[in-house]
Amino acid sequence: MVLALSAGKIQQHISAIASGFLGDWLENRGNGLAVPMTLFVDGKRLDVRNPKLDAPGGTLCVSIHGLMELESVWDFPGQAGEHYGTRLAGALGDTTALKLRFNSGRPIYRNGQDLASLLEQLVARWPVPVERIILLGHSMGGLMIRSACHFGSVQAHSWVSKQLECVYIGSPHDGSWLAIGAHKVAETLNKVPRDYLKVVGEVIDLRSEGIQNLSRGDVFEPGTVEQPLIPEARHYVISGLLAKTENHRVNVMFGDALVHESSARGARREGWELSGIANFPGVDHIRLAHHPMVCGQLQEWLV
Amino acid sequence: MKGPDNHMHWWLGVADLLGHGLQHGAVKLKRVHLSIADESFRVLETIPVTRSGSRLVRACHHSVSHVSYTSVSLAGRAVADLAGSLRSRVATAPVN
Repeated sequence: MVLALSAGKIQQHISAIASGFLGDWLENRGNGLAVPMTLFVDGKRLDVRNPKLDAPGGTLCVSIHGLMELESVWDFPGQAGEHYGTRLAGALGDTTALKLRFNSGRPIYRNGQDLASLLEQLVARWPVPVERIILLGHSMGGLMIRSACHFGSVQAHSWVSKQLECVYIGSPHDGSWLAIGAHKVAETLNKVPRDYLKVVGEVIDLRSEGIQNLSRGDVFEPGTVEQPLIPEARHYVISGLLAKTENHRVNVMFGDALVHESSARGARREGWELSGIANFPGVDHIRLAHHPMVCGQLQEWLV
Repeated sequence: MKGPDNHMHWWLGVADLLGHGLQHGAVKLKRVHLSIADESFRVLETIPVTRSGSRLVRACHHSVSHVSYTSVSLAGRAVADLAGSLRSRVATAPVN
């Protein structure tokens, strides 16, 4: 039994990684490795068309993972099923904590569109009236929230008009240095008149559209004019840094390992009004998704 | 059901990905191999004593490499095609 569960988890992780690298291609081929968008409550899949829960809350707290991750990234180490959502639900009361799993290799705007539609369907069919929605996004998940908010607002979705709070945790709004680096390396190698170097560039170029979106933090459909954060919601930003000393050279070079603090704050974006900004030196990119200090900050802002 | 919980669908997905990886990976590896080898052959080409011999060796080397990599690539394509066809059969099979 234990072996079977482990094998299932390994399969899920392989699917998440393959989807992150080649998710758009896998989806187009109908490949079984492509991860479908799914909501989970207490570790069980939720049927959005007919959500049945023992005690549905009037507040929904949806946690959205990042590139190549699974919803399990939110769980505190050694405490499966305990995450920011459940802690907030415990403190707020009348709250249901949900976790989203999705194909992180698809273009972010397409995942954003699907998330907006999913939330619309969920709110319409939720057993009790939904009054408040908290969206927690780690890394790419934060970009998806921005995208979903934009589409939800444009399409006049009802969920956007609820008390909406969006938290972007280590999200590369201005791009990730690693994705930018990969893009530049591929571009340079493709220009070199040596076939063996061109091949390396071509292999780097195989990366999914989702990864390519991370090089500039693209969240809107191509051709769409840059949009500010939607005014209907409150927006919070959390960033991390590798070293505990804020101005440490490592932090300047690598930020939280993948995202610089300025990118997590959306420093290059115009017209952003943030309700809260918090930075956690010494907390790296992955640990931002399950760190007690981040949890404390979320409770301070949202409870 | 789609996704990793459907084992047959998932394993066919793995086979499809590996088949494609083999098919296209072999072609790319061939390009890397031949272009690196050409760097050496270019040097030998500039030396009058080795010029004629290196041309013959280059032709043999490239021919054998071409046949080897193409065989691997075709095997990968066969795996991917087989996985694709089995996936279609599974998808259209009646549910008992």
